[in-house]
Amino acid sequence: MGDIVVFGGSSHPELVNMICENLGVPSSRVDLSKFSNGETNVQIGESVREKDVYLIQSGCGHVNDNFMELLIMISACKSASASRITAVMPYFCYSRQPDIPFTSKGAPLITKANKNSNIEGDILSPAPSALMTQRPGSMSPFKVADEEVRTSTNQTLKKSVSASRIPIVSSKKDPKGTEANEAFNAQNAGYKLWVAQSGTLIANLLTAAGADHVITMDLHDPQFPGFFNIPVDNLYCRPLVQNYIQHHIPDYKDAVIVSPDAGGAKRATAIADSLELSFALIHKERRSQLLKGPPDATLTSGGGLNVSTTPLISNLNSTEITNSPSKYIQTTMLVGDVRNKVCIIVDDLVDTSYTVTRAAKLLKDQGASKVYAIVTHGIFSGDALARIAQSEIDQFVISNTVPQDETISALGKDKVGIMDVSRVIGEAIRRIHNGESISMLFEHGW
Amino acid sequence: MSANNIKLLAGNAHPELALLISKNLSIPLSKIGVYQYSNKETSVTIGESIRDEDVYIIQTGIGEQEINDFLMELLILIHACKTASVRRITAVLPNFPYARQDKKDKSRAAITAKLIANLLQTAGCDHIITMDLHASQIQGFFRIPVDNLYAEPSVLNYIKTKTDINNAILVSPDAGGAKRVASLADKLDLNFALIHKERQKANEVSRMVLVGDVKGKSCLLIDDMADTCGTLVKACDTLLDNGAKEVIAIVTHGIFSGNAREKLQNSRLSRIVCTNTVPVDIDLPIVDQIDISPTLAEAIRRLHNGESVSYLFTNAPV
Repeated sequence: MGDIVVFGGSSHPELVNMICENLGVPSSRVDLSKFSNGETNVQIGESVREKDVYLIQSGCGHVNDNFMELLIMISACKSASASRITAVMPYFCYSRQPDIPFTSKGAPLITKANKNSNIEGDILSPAPSALMTQRPGSMSPFKVADEEVRTSTNQTLKKSVSASRIPIVSSKKDPKGTEANEAFNAQNAGYKLWVAQSGTLIANLLTAAGADHVITMDLHDPQFPGFFNIPVDNLYCRPLVQNYIQHHIPDYKDAVIVSPDAGGAKRATAIADSLELSFALIHKERRSQLLKGPPDATLTSGGGLNVSTTPLISNLNSTEITNSPSKYIQTTMLVGDVRNKVCIIVDDLVDTSYTVTRAAKLLKDQGASKVYAIVTHGIFSGDALARIAQSEIDQFVISNTVPQDETISALGKDKVGIMDVSRVIGEAIRRIHNGESISMLFEHGW
Repeated sequence: MSANNIKLLAGNAHPELALLISKNLSIPLSKIGVYQYSNKETSVTIGESIRDEDVYIIQTGIGEQEINDFLMELLILIHACKTASVRRITAVLPNFPYARQDKKDKSRAAITAKLIANLLQTAGCDHIITMDLHASQIQGFFRIPVDNLYAEPSVLNYIKTKTDINNAILVSPDAGGAKRVASLADKLDLNFALIHKERQKANEVSRMVLVGDVKGKSCLLIDDMADTCGTLVKACDTLLDNGAKEVIAIVTHGIFSGNAREKLQNSRLSRIVCTNTVPVDIDLPIVDQIDISPTLAEAIRRLHNGESVSYLFTNAPV
């Protein structure tokens, strides 16, 4: 195997430099630009013939642009006779796979918070689909409610298409999106909305471009490496998290590790066990008051609309139900005792930040003295940072898999802790290049 | 096999064209939602059963900011259809994205057009319909059939009906387009001239030499695409400097990126005509459009019925 060559994409140059410093290898020259028509242009500046090539690109920022850039870089290296190409994706884009439709209010993965987001805070929240949290394997008690079908005529489709073009999710009211949702929920045709699961596709695209190996960190789904036909090394942030807790949290021995939802319980208990800390879990349960009756009685208005006035809806016998938004009761339960304790919320990913801010509120309401949040990937889309700034979280600790300059400037230096992953990734690259085992990185970090 | 139907799916790149095609075929667009999450990942939902149907996904390569978004939309749509058990997936790409990155012109340059071909096939595409590929060799990048349609018949109709054909001469703005122009000139029985250009950097043209006589003629400048319009404007100047009466530019793909609008506004072109393979959102009075949706719609119909599409290479359906 030839020498090691490291190229950085445009998503996170800072991390690339840090990894290269840890490796003792300078990052190689690559010119990344765009043609005036928007097409991505990649020019590899150094010979890669028979070299062991590592391409570092995180799945953040303008995700699709960065992903295409990575694919083109891989393809360029492949056609320039590189002997092996490893895609290093500290945060793997499209790694969460929602199985319920998107709503205009936000990514469906993240539960929505209301102003009074405590026990029954979500009563007023509009679309049930917007409120579901999915973790792999979590059973949705509202399958029926999810079977809302977008039915639209030719014209309404146009509306929905044009509305969907708008990438904003956090913005207040989008009138076009309203129409789209109306159309979406207008009728129940008995067909479950098919939501694309893009995991396999992303895996195949990387392989098709020519990647031979993938290095990533804290994948949301443990099943994700199974989508690839090439080796995937999933590194863990856990040792870094443990290290941070031990060195930066005073009196950590009396702290409680909290998982903000059932899906993250395993991750949190592993940390609690190894540090011999107690553990608490926030469990969300959503109950429908009106799950009896014919299936279409569970139709709801998407996106919190007053759909009942439109003719499309009024011909259904569910007008009254559609009108009353309070058909769902959400109970949020805290399992475990946190009174007068320091709580450490542990999760793999924070995006719209509803989950974590709501968890913090609940913990404070239950008497927690201080709340830390330690999360691997900080995407912070929409107005997530503003929400966190106002939340009960005393300190937010994130890794630098995704650039965090904005986070620091938004929350202030004191409120943010950064875990540096460049050493772990750099060491993994070194070991993979030399054909050594990387499994000790899983336990001890670097 | 049981009979199946055409299903038309549209991405967000060019909904107007999708609607025109749907009208031409009298088949409504299928109910789908293509969204972007707040973290900028693309999400696709399909709102009706497409099991065992013949699916056509209409998405064009355009967008200074969104071209990669639209591409990912297309790939995810294809993948979603594949996993939803459709019988055949045809990607209708009136303007093929990355078509100009089709060769290794420098060391370690990426052949991105080939990559796009691989990505489309990996996602699960069974057939491609496109129009006026920048280089027809791109068809060879695929292992699946590619129908490269021509805008030529529609352009011919336009020239015959809307220009002064008696005093016209066809001009190719570069040597690469000579073949395209020669073929048009034959069919119209017109003369043609050629401009030789020397290019030093991408999207920039340095010097132009005219081959042929255009004095007192109305010049029809023919090209496959107009992007930054540097070539067209310079070619127009060259022609007028050589005594041409007026210059009308006719292109298939009117991408008009960068400051194309200003360039066109300040140019001496009397008209610029493009087809609607890509949405044109510049509102200059000199811009005129040719609707090629009947050709695409007819190709879809013929493909579905297993008829030959070669008729469309020489005839424009109305």
